[in-house]
Amino acid sequence: MTSNVPKEEEKEKEKGTPILTRSDFLKIGGATLGAAVLSELVISGPFSPEAIQGIGAEAHPHQGSAEHQWHMAIDLDRCIGCLYCVRACQAVNDVPDDEMRWNVVFPERLEDGTEFFMNRPCQHCQEAPCVRVCPVGATWVRPDGIVAMDYDRCIGCRYCQVACPYDVRRFNWKTSDQPNPYQPTWGVAEVPRRPRGVVEKCTFCVHRIDRGLEQGLKPGVDRAATPACVVACPVGARIFGDIRDPESPISKFLATKTTFRLREDWGTEPKVHYVRPTKKEA
Amino acid sequence: MATTASARVSPRLTPFTLWVAGLAIAFLIGLFAMAQVILKGLQVTGLSNTVPWGLWITIDLSAIALGAGAFTFSAAVYLFRIHRLESFARPAVFVGFLGYTSAMLALAMDIGRPDRFYHPLIYWNVHSVLWEITWCVVLYSSVLFLEVFPVLAESRFFDRWPGMRRLAHQIHRLTPVLAVIGMGLSLLHQSSLGATYGVLSGRAIWFKPSLPIMFIISAVAGGMSLTLLSTIISSKLLHTELIKADIKREVARVIGYTTLAYLYIKLWDWAATSYYSHAPGTANALQRLQATTPYTTTFWGIEIILAGIVPAVILLYQPLRRNDRALMVALGLICFGVVVNRWNVTLSGLVAPPEWSPGVLGNVVAATYFPTLTEILVAVGIVSYWLLAFTLGVRYLSLYKSPKHS
Repeated sequence: MTSNVPKEEEKEKEKGTPILTRSDFLKIGGATLGAAVLSELVISGPFSPEAIQGIGAEAHPHQGSAEHQWHMAIDLDRCIGCLYCVRACQAVNDVPDDEMRWNVVFPERLEDGTEFFMNRPCQHCQEAPCVRVCPVGATWVRPDGIVAMDYDRCIGCRYCQVACPYDVRRFNWKTSDQPNPYQPTWGVAEVPRRPRGVVEKCTFCVHRIDRGLEQGLKPGVDRAATPACVVACPVGARIFGDIRDPESPISKFLATKTTFRLREDWGTEPKVHYVRPTKKEA
Repeated sequence: MATTASARVSPRLTPFTLWVAGLAIAFLIGLFAMAQVILKGLQVTGLSNTVPWGLWITIDLSAIALGAGAFTFSAAVYLFRIHRLESFARPAVFVGFLGYTSAMLALAMDIGRPDRFYHPLIYWNVHSVLWEITWCVVLYSSVLFLEVFPVLAESRFFDRWPGMRRLAHQIHRLTPVLAVIGMGLSLLHQSSLGATYGVLSGRAIWFKPSLPIMFIISAVAGGMSLTLLSTIISSKLLHTELIKADIKREVARVIGYTTLAYLYIKLWDWAATSYYSHAPGTANALQRLQATTPYTTTFWGIEIILAGIVPAVILLYQPLRRNDRALMVALGLICFGVVVNRWNVTLSGLVAPPEWSPGVLGNVVAATYFPTLTEILVAVGIVSYWLLAFTLGVRYLSLYKSPKHS
């Protein structure tokens, strides 16, 4: 391609000197290189992200403690698709609109024909793509592993939705003012409803965990401190707890069962573990 | 305001008056649609939780990309001292300013909480490319304003404020400094806009380091094209030669080479991700796109052939380049190609979302998105703002005079 350039210029019979002389080219090249180096300095030099991350970003209160690591297991072999977990979630987290469900359950089939019900709450990725992209730090991974949301900071740009490969995030397209059909049958609202224009998602019922720990309860064991979906499940298909505690239900479960996580090849390090469904005899 | 201004100048119904009036009406309709968005929220759009970005993001990305002529020509004139291009500096900066203000208008509509637009400035997440882009766009828009202000201050409107005019003159002397800052900021955010998609590791169809490079090269080609195209059209309508023919053709040739460079990188991007390799997520998503959308046609037919190869041939083949009509077609195709590319990049990753279910039924095979009327009218409003401001700028500002002060 470059060898064509001089020929092309010979053909050029237009008046005037060419736009790019050799010295122009060197100047442009040098300056571009300089600008690139300067940009890199800003990106990784003394103005490195770590050095300035704290500026402007006020610390989030109630961060949770790194002593605990909250994980969930979902036994797809046990799930009967009753949707109790879905409704309990909608009642407790006050999500009246079915389109906005944080926790979804739907009929699925494995390639070998095994019918089962797929469950999908937020995966609470340790390397959460949504957290990385949020321009205002309105979502973050707490020291205890929960991916939290700050609805007062969110600007509603929806980049987190674009980044999340598991489709767990929901945007409040409209003001949610309809009555919640799942209350009080499935529970009462434990958190305020979110305003129009912000993104929301499953929180692992973080309000229950934080309050429960204050009261000396054990999340995953004591119902009041455990996510609503786990408590509501009639067949014990959802297990929750602290994987730093070897006696927790989740540690015992993960120690005895073969589990997998969704799309581990993405490197997102999810905290929801699944047990593969097996074929049932009719 | 626009209509009264034109009415004062030409009380008769000239094509110019009709054009300005038509644009003003389109802009007012757009404003009405924007009011709907502010009042009712984003439920008036065709967007969904699966496809949360659409037409407005495309406009936003395209407007910024097509505004890249500002930094390109400013750097060429004030930094590299290519004085032959001096007559391009003002129109390029003006076109850039209109592009960036259009983009900010689109963004203000697109975010769920426009009242919190300033949050990225006070709450920092330096790991987010969007945070970096926000800062760069805010800073660069300020740079563009400072570059445009001296041009505005020359207009008759500022006769009553000689102080402002003196200030503008002082600012004008900073132009070379502003050009350097502008180039730095543009090199950062024009490519970061591609990185917006390129860094999303969970989304195979986007996740590649070539996106930022392709974005900035297409922005430089598109930005120069729009500047040159709008200049040629203005020349035709005003029946004056605003830019010397030889300079025009040389810029056209540079755009041609930039387009070739873009096509070369794009060829390798395609070859490395889709032809010589089999990245599971990419192949799968492309298959689903092929089955349910015209993506293959718009990618190969429009992006590559119509908006890449065709204009490159026109711009690099002298007999065609010397023909003003062919030249305008080529430049128009490049601008159109930038818009189609930004649409394709945005929608391809969203319409064929990644598969996460271990089963074979549950994942969305392909989501659908079609903008609603309100969404389209907002877009019409933004485009007519651009056209209206450009028209009035060409008419009432001395965009094409040499910026030298005697």
